[in-house]
Amino acid sequence: MNYANLFRYWRTVLTVAEMSIRTQFSDSFILFAIVFQPMIIAILALFMLREKGGDYAMFVVVGSGLTGLWSSLLFVSGNSINSERWTGTLESLVGVPTPFDVIVFGKNLANVFQSLLSMVTSYTLAAFLFGYSLSFTQPLLFMVTLWFSMFAFICFGLTIAPVFVMYRSVQQWQNAMEFPVYILGGFLFPIAMLPGWATPISYLLPPYWAAQALHGTSTAMMPFEQILFCWGMMIVFSVVDLIIASQLFKVMLYKARVEATLDVD
Amino acid sequence: MNAVEVNQLRRIYRAQIGVFNRSIKEVVAVDEISFDVKQGELFGLLGPNGAGKTTTVKMLTTLLIPSLGSASVAGFDVVKQANEVRKRIGFIFGGERGLYWRLSGDDNLRYFASLYGVDPDISKKRIPYLMELVGLKGRGNERVGGYSRGMKQRLHVARTLLHDPDILFLDEPTIGLDPVGAREFRAVILDLQAQKKTILLTTHYMFEADALSDRIAIINKGRVIALDTPGGLKQHVSDLSVVEVETFGAPDSTLEKLRSLPFIDSLSVEDREQKQMLLVQTKRGAEAVPDVMAALDGQRIGRVIVREPTLEDAYVRLVGGQS
Repeated sequence: MNYANLFRYWRTVLTVAEMSIRTQFSDSFILFAIVFQPMIIAILALFMLREKGGDYAMFVVVGSGLTGLWSSLLFVSGNSINSERWTGTLESLVGVPTPFDVIVFGKNLANVFQSLLSMVTSYTLAAFLFGYSLSFTQPLLFMVTLWFSMFAFICFGLTIAPVFVMYRSVQQWQNAMEFPVYILGGFLFPIAMLPGWATPISYLLPPYWAAQALHGTSTAMMPFEQILFCWGMMIVFSVVDLIIASQLFKVMLYKARVEATLDVD
Repeated sequence: MNAVEVNQLRRIYRAQIGVFNRSIKEVVAVDEISFDVKQGELFGLLGPNGAGKTTTVKMLTTLLIPSLGSASVAGFDVVKQANEVRKRIGFIFGGERGLYWRLSGDDNLRYFASLYGVDPDISKKRIPYLMELVGLKGRGNERVGGYSRGMKQRLHVARTLLHDPDILFLDEPTIGLDPVGAREFRAVILDLQAQKKTILLTTHYMFEADALSDRIAIINKGRVIALDTPGGLKQHVSDLSVVEVETFGAPDSTLEKLRSLPFIDSLSVEDREQKQMLLVQTKRGAEAVPDVMAALDGQRIGRVIVREPTLEDAYVRLVGGQS
């Protein structure tokens, strides 16, 4: 791939993201996934743990934001592929010269970007409804971590999307995939509370490293070496995810064209 | 070099049937068809529902993998060089699907222009030009969900021309359009033909195929049963005349009696609300009318016309002969 193609693909990614946001913002289910569900989770957590003080409130804000990020990626990205199939646009997307993984990258970027609303919503709730005085312990490092996390989530989402292209029925399994990642990723409580055998699974999930670094830079003074390690893990997992996704897309798209699953006819 | 070359193309669909005793059912949708489309030609693919037209187009537009055989578009193999094919073609599948209804017409075009790798500076000029070409000037800011069916079809045409492809696949593009919309659409197709675009058009509207196509392949049950110019296809029925008889509720027994008359080559029945139109193909021309009327004795009869055969009559004879 040359630089001209890279530049063109990046332009396409931005256009896909823009159009996805325009399309999805009028969808009430998406508003539920990125605003109302994290809001409910944040209210419950803030009520249950209100004696623990402002630091924990920030933990909940970041944690519920992460739940929105993951739910949005899992449901919105997955559903959008099925919805494209039902509206007949999936064939149009597969039939263009732009690689399909570039298109899905743009869709995931839109989903991850708009799911940042979850974090803003939770922050607003904690500050105004519960009266917490919230401040980030390492704001600059938090912002950098947020960008790394978004990239890691997008790449992780790319490994799931090809399955949605191939199998129409995979939607039924989405619910089963939602909460395990909340728990194993340490979004709302530390994974130290989980049984020992679960820890290696957490280490294999990019959202875990994102959660570690985001919590560490928002509620604690995480040493810079640890932050760097989390960033490194996110980069490693993102590269691995990109390689896996590119191979999966090739295989699944070929299979979808063999088994005629790009359309509902 | 031909724009499209199809060689012994075959496509089988496999469907799982049964819940407890599962088995695989195979359906041959396209059965070893071969044809070529020359550059700049408007090639019609005619056939009844389920004949394999859409499956053929989907294989040629790289959306389905053939089970057997090969095909090339613009000199590139549709399986091995799918991306090269995609850069050079545009396609429309009939109906309202395939567009983003929550986006405006202009945004739909901007989206697809980006996916086809059109430079933003070019697409800025091209989108208004195409909207005007397809008669949607001034409607680009409206959401596509509010467009009529005809407007959506025309937007499809604009979408497919964004990257200025040399070869177009139009799969039943006028299906569901009102007569005025369909006529306007045909004018757009003629305009594209004048620009020397190669067009593969599938339709089951005979007059449309007759009026537009340079050559026509008739496909039935997945096989090409005839391939010729519209004039050449009509030669298949040049020895025949068609007697059109308007009846009101003629029972099947009467129609069977009519069909069994020795001088009748074929009989097809079109239901038109309260009426039936019987289309009798015969070599005897006007002389057959008294015998036809005798066979319909006791039935309420409307108009009776004897006319020269059309492409539709050739189609009925060819496809009817296969049934």
